[in-house]
Amino acid sequence: MPELLEAEAREGAALPGPSRRGGTATPDPANGREVQEPQVPGGGPGGGAPWLLLTLPAILAYVVLLLLPTLAAMALAFTDYELGAGGFAWIGLDNFAELLRDRGFRQSFANTLFYVAVVTPGSIFGALAIALLIEGGRRGRTLFRALFFLPVVSLTVAMATAWQYLLHPTIGPLNAMLRQVGVAGPAWLSDSGMVMWSLAGIGIWENLGFNLVLFLAGLTAIPRELYAAAEVDGAGSAWARFRLVTWPMLGPTTLFILTITMIRAVRVFDTVKVLTQGGPAKASEVLLHTMYQEGFTFFRLGYSAAITLVFLVIVLALMWLQTRLLDKRVHYA
Amino acid sequence: MTPSFSRRQALLLSAGTLAGLAAPRLLRAQGQTEITVHYAQPFIYKEAYDAMLAAFAKAEPGIKVTYVTTPNYEEGAQLILRQASTGQLPDLSYQGFNRLRIFAERGLAQDLAPLLAQEGRPEQQGYTPNFLALGQFGGIQAGLAYAASNPVCYFNADLVRRAGGNPDQFPTDWNGVLDLAARIKRLGDGHEGLWFTWNGDDWMFSALLFGHGGRMLAADERDVGFAGPEGLGALTLLERMVKEGGMPNLTAPAARQAFAAGKLGMIFQTTALVRGTLANVGNSFELRTTTMPVIDREKGRLPTGGAAGMLLARDPAKREAAWKFLRFSTGPEGQAMMVKNTGYLPCNQLAIDQPQYLAAFYKDNPLFVPAVKQIPISVPWYAFPGTNSVRVTQTMVDNLARIVEQRATPAEVQADMAAEVRRLLPRKA
Repeated sequence: MPELLEAEAREGAALPGPSRRGGTATPDPANGREVQEPQVPGGGPGGGAPWLLLTLPAILAYVVLLLLPTLAAMALAFTDYELGAGGFAWIGLDNFAELLRDRGFRQSFANTLFYVAVVTPGSIFGALAIALLIEGGRRGRTLFRALFFLPVVSLTVAMATAWQYLLHPTIGPLNAMLRQVGVAGPAWLSDSGMVMWSLAGIGIWENLGFNLVLFLAGLTAIPRELYAAAEVDGAGSAWARFRLVTWPMLGPTTLFILTITMIRAVRVFDTVKVLTQGGPAKASEVLLHTMYQEGFTFFRLGYSAAITLVFLVIVLALMWLQTRLLDKRVHYA
Repeated sequence: MTPSFSRRQALLLSAGTLAGLAAPRLLRAQGQTEITVHYAQPFIYKEAYDAMLAAFAKAEPGIKVTYVTTPNYEEGAQLILRQASTGQLPDLSYQGFNRLRIFAERGLAQDLAPLLAQEGRPEQQGYTPNFLALGQFGGIQAGLAYAASNPVCYFNADLVRRAGGNPDQFPTDWNGVLDLAARIKRLGDGHEGLWFTWNGDDWMFSALLFGHGGRMLAADERDVGFAGPEGLGALTLLERMVKEGGMPNLTAPAARQAFAAGKLGMIFQTTALVRGTLANVGNSFELRTTTMPVIDREKGRLPTGGAAGMLLARDPAKREAAWKFLRFSTGPEGQAMMVKNTGYLPCNQLAIDQPQYLAAFYKDNPLFVPAVKQIPISVPWYAFPGTNSVRVTQTMVDNLARIVEQRATPAEVQADMAAEVRRLLPRKA
């Protein structure tokens, strides 16, 4: 279930990306309407509806692999179905009422918000700063780009194991370094006050490279003449050039990055599952991990489906926000 | 009035969400019965099951056994519950003791008592009441114990010596252990004294509770059993480990890494990890094991972990064949193979009593001996009743975390834990 939703989220959010990053001004790239229009001529040669035949495999795959499972998950959210139970009963909104009362879920929700609130600005402003440095630098652009992009291409689960060693309270290099300067390092992953900060730090590290590459692409698309024109108009300092040219021109890129980072952050699961399993005492419980645990450890699929629905609503809301803002707020080149 | 749905309707609605590992379709050749057997944790058990497969094929040439495995018990339980919905169950499945109750209460595990009765007196075949009790859940003999473990103390003999202790006379009570742990911690340089596996599940906490003579729920299972002095004693002991023994706040993998790296003096965990710990430690220090410190000399007990085989086949021929395999695996021969290949404890008295099976093994592998010494005081791993069975254990672990982090006193935690667990117990009419 989670993978399907993730795939959907990724697909939906990624769709408008490339067309905007290239800087070519398509009027409404968000829902791909203009792509569909040429496909509906109806009376093409050979009669019938060849467009239907051609798109049928994709439609079938979408319906069977995405739409039906999503609808099934939605339906399950209103039942008390448990894995392995003989049947189930409709219980209406009881699952959602329980969600509201469930301290564990509230904590999980709050932790996810915290994670998004730290990882999103951290990885966006960090990526922007590094992108500007790389773009302004003379040498080693490819090297730095590759270095910062490495976390994106590496497997999160394997990297999480590496982080576990780095952050190990007694034998980890990080605390060993801290001991050298006389500081007693915290238990990064087992202290309930620390654990979300540690996970968010890993999240920033994970997302930074991806955002960096997007920003670099956005920067190259800014016409050089604009800087020259700005200078003529009196924008002499680097800050003025950034404020008046770079930042507005990066608008569409930034908005895309903002949405995709938020969605990626809401989806945090791998690091939690590998490093903390939500502990200690639910201090690092996040939405997807709670969903997994309720469904597949506690076998309460109905309740788990209700959490899935909450997750789906959040992702859809983020996507809606993106498409709304896209049309109104962002200045296009 | 809530409308109820049949299993088939439930299946249709959730089709696709429950994409399971399809068990190979079972075909019966002439004169041969094919059965599918599921077990978890192949990284521990593979050699044992492969040895049994070869020996069983010789003893019963008419039965062909195919294995299905899952990486761990949790996924093993998921597999069976999923396949129960799609009608593709294996014929025999080896599941963790604490999950048997789920299968018994959902009517999946079959009662083995009548089958056992047909074979004559169970004791004579090595199935003593203690071993049978490990697989009794939901009022039936839901499984036969296949591999057992109990908690033991692992210690770094080099660190114990450096802290002024004597590895040959390791303290046998908690006062001595905590004192030694504090001395190891005082060695400095990032050394820690002890770590007790309190997180993950409730198993090691039950070792402290049972050690005080306490129990998880009252005998009639209507109320919690840890709200009294035994429960408070167990929680207080956990707090003393932190305050007096200087127990660090670690996750279980981090603690095992620290122990293998020689930075942790003692670790209290299941004897099932002896083999893996030995491999991780190598020659970097002298690893030893010993029995758990005694808490209450008369009433003190220890929980038993491990796995039991449960019969799922409905087809009479397959059921007969699966039962034969289950009996073989839990008989003295199968048990000897299991012990030699895994280090788990045998669950058959004949395998323990008759020297031709395991006497030589235990002579050559003293690290496995403390767990055998603890068999007489071992009792079943308690599994909570009802649909919140697994959730209860998580609730308990979450509460224990508050003690380890020193955010609450044992008395506060005891009250909260009792209240939260009571809410998760099934309401009885």
